Amino acid sequence: MIKSSHLLHLEEATIRFGGLTAVSKLSLTIGGNEMIGLIGPNGAGKTTAFNMITGVYQPTSGRISFAGRPIAGLKAHELTKLGVARTFQNIRLFGSLSVFDNVRAATQLHRSHGVINALWRGQAFHESEREVRTLVMDLLSIFKLDGCADEEAKSLPYGDQRRLEIVRALATKPKLLLLDEPAAGMNPTEKEALMHLIRFIQEKFQISILLVEHDMKVVMGICQRIAVLEYGVKIAEGTPAEIQNDPKVIKAYLGTEDEDEKEDVAHA
Amino acid sequence: MDFYFQQLVNGLALGSIYGLIALGYTMVYGVLRFINFAHSDVLMLGAYAAFFMAPAIEKLVPLPGMAGALIVILLAALICAVIGMLIEFLAYRPLRSRPKLTVLITAIGVSLFIEFTCQHKAVFGAANRAFPKLIDFPNFTLLGLTIPSLSVIIVVITALMLGGMWFIVQKTKTGAAMRAVSFNQQAAALMGININRIISFTFGLGSALAAVAGVLYALTAPAIEPLMGTQPGLRAFIAAVLGGIGNLPGAVLGGILLGLLETFAGAIPGLSTYRDAIAFAILILILLFKPAGLLGKATVEKV
Amino acid sequence: MKSLPGAKRWLILAIILAIVAGALAGQFNRYYLGVWMDCGINIILAVSLNLINGHTGQFSLGHAGFMSVGGYTAAKLSLVYNDSVPSFLHVFDQWKNFFQYIPSSVECWRFILLGSGLLLGGLASALAGLAVGVPSLRLRGDYLAIVTLGFGEIIRVIFQNMEAVGAASGLSGIPKYTTLGWTFGLAAVTVYIVATLVNSTYGRGFLAVSDDEVAASSMGINPTRYKVTAFVIGAFFAGIAGGLYAHHKQTLTPTQFDFMKSIDIVVMVILGGMGRTGGVILAAIILTWMPEMLRGFAEYRMIIYALMIIGLMMLRPQGLFTLNFKRKGGQAPT
Repeated sequence: MIKSSHLLHLEEATIRFGGLTAVSKLSLTIGGNEMIGLIGPNGAGKTTAFNMITGVYQPTSGRISFAGRPIAGLKAHELTKLGVARTFQNIRLFGSLSVFDNVRAATQLHRSHGVINALWRGQAFHESEREVRTLVMDLLSIFKLDGCADEEAKSLPYGDQRRLEIVRALATKPKLLLLDEPAAGMNPTEKEALMHLIRFIQEKFQISILLVEHDMKVVMGICQRIAVLEYGVKIAEGTPAEIQNDPKVIKAYLGTEDEDEKEDVAHA
Repeated sequence: MDFYFQQLVNGLALGSIYGLIALGYTMVYGVLRFINFAHSDVLMLGAYAAFFMAPAIEKLVPLPGMAGALIVILLAALICAVIGMLIEFLAYRPLRSRPKLTVLITAIGVSLFIEFTCQHKAVFGAANRAFPKLIDFPNFTLLGLTIPSLSVIIVVITALMLGGMWFIVQKTKTGAAMRAVSFNQQAAALMGININRIISFTFGLGSALAAVAGVLYALTAPAIEPLMGTQPGLRAFIAAVLGGIGNLPGAVLGGILLGLLETFAGAIPGLSTYRDAIAFAILILILLFKPAGLLGKATVEKV
Repeated sequence: MKSLPGAKRWLILAIILAIVAGALAGQFNRYYLGVWMDCGINIILAVSLNLINGHTGQFSLGHAGFMSVGGYTAAKLSLVYNDSVPSFLHVFDQWKNFFQYIPSSVECWRFILLGSGLLLGGLASALAGLAVGVPSLRLRGDYLAIVTLGFGEIIRVIFQNMEAVGAASGLSGIPKYTTLGWTFGLAAVTVYIVATLVNSTYGRGFLAVSDDEVAASSMGINPTRYKVTAFVIGAFFAGIAGGLYAHHKQTLTPTQFDFMKSIDIVVMVILGGMGRTGGVILAAIILTWMPEMLRGFAEYRMIIYALMIIGLMMLRPQGLFTLNFKRKGGQAPT
């Protein structure tokens, strides 16, 4: 059943690649202004589910809808226009563009000016460009990236690049922001800062956030609700406290080489 | 009836030649994921090698004659194998880590370099040269139909080469290594396979096949000139794509199909002037509807 | 990053300069004048291809095909109508009696004919660009290169068999309408359009698609639409260049627009640094003059050219001009 307060609604969504079922009958609902976490051992299908929600892959069966609209089969850029934005596991900035331009490129979808206006350069065009400039610089300064606005994106330090990627996604004015392992490669201090950042984004921009993450501290620390995937199947969903004590979840992390993960689940 | 049969046999012969050349393209694409534009020029060099060696060989073994022809072909193949490996070593190996487009343009540069150098009067000169008749068998007749002997010989030689190729790729250690490298270069290297050696070998093998194709092609189109490789090379590449680039039997299948299509189209009045465009039209259609080729498998990009 | 109030000013200045140079053309050595006109044409070709190959990162090897479509269209128009000066233009002849700098009716007609021929040629080429772009889009890298090469060859073969444009013998006797003013004026327009397009927020989409198509589409940028747009605009200007070329060389044959011609333009784009408009302009000028410079080495010229391509790829694939260069739009490239 699709309620109007639902933002994202997956119903038994499945993705198969040839003989491999990466995601199996996933059902998940995200409402407005929620912070949801998606966790699971390696290979559980988290990124694949992500890619399905953002239109990179099409579901083999099942239904996905966003704000009441079915979205299966829509391309990534169409989904972004509807309000779904994302970051990538391996940072995918526009490396050769400047920091400014990275964000600027993401504002285009909401601009009504296309090729003709860009060529004609009338009054309306210049006004639009001024608006874009203000918008981008404001966004950059909120996240303390305005100082390096003219630098090449790929020359930024890793942490700044991650932040830039998030800022870029925010420039598309999303209703739902998907973050794909934003804490990857960060040290504990950086992770703390990231947690603050994500909470700040949710409050300031009043959007929903779906977070895929391995770091339990981060997930348990900021998410209101968590869904756990294992081998493409959702095995549990609930608050951090519920998940931590769920025997199925603990079992899923058992038997992995990563004893630390088991520890993290128990102690986070 | 005789006419159509002629076309069929000619088509098969042309297709076999395309197949031989296509194998070279597909093998190199398989291991290196790039289109060796200079491959068509190795074809030309093979024909010229045979051209210059024929008089020398004639002194030892009678020409035209099967034995003599085979020796000439073998020598041409060896020479071109070396040339192919040299090109890889000098022009492609230093660029192995670069973006594919850089190597592609370099390959175009190498191809142009070979062509222009050979056109220079100090080398081969741009003019046509008559190619010696290496083989002179009378035509066969079967059930009242005339079968040109040259076409049969071409098909037979091609079949033998393919058999040899199949054996090498499927039954030898080197062949297994080639297949490993074409699947995953890094993993192959980790398994102790000497990537450089395998790539060299692949180039050598492909170039040898191109040389054989070059000699056979020259026998059917009796004049040779430095730009003779361009058109057959381009068709053969299309054949490789048609069959599924990276897929060896596909290359042969594509070659034969293309050879037959072109030969029959050439025989239909009104269509014959568009013969050149047919190959390209096929290429575009295949890439639009089945980019993996007839025998290839589609791959999904991992995000 | 500022918006560009100066861009239009640059354009108008450049066009005025072009017209002045054109007016003085009679003073120059006719041969060198011809080479400079070739430069102008090649600038248009290189900058238009740069939009496709450089800015949008699509490797097109069939640009000569687009050029030929525009060239043949414009040439055909001129050949059919160049003698039919419409009567309403005769007014100019009367006015000319009072003021000698008024153009005659013939000169007016020439201007109108070439202008409309170029426009028509450009539009025809743009259509060709659409026809080529749409199917080619899903292909990447070397596959795209081969398909565009194939399209270029198909266009050539079609013209080779089309009686209306003279088949293999082509068209000859095309009136010499192209002047220095036209070539450099239109070169300025091309540079203005491409450079200012790419510098706009909309235009950043081209660069985004080139850099990372998946990321671009996740940011709401439709990669397909941008790629097709690049092809269409690039083809449009190639068509204009073709029209200018036709009225300069006065003869058109299909073999003039073969793979080698496409390669020539590609080399200009690469030499100039893919995506750097300023560099590409310089590269076009240098490569147009190179055969003249190498006159002494006539027989080695092509060999040197091939070696240059190899050397460029091995030693400096990013092009020769990687300094920050102010384009005619008054903006530094990104």
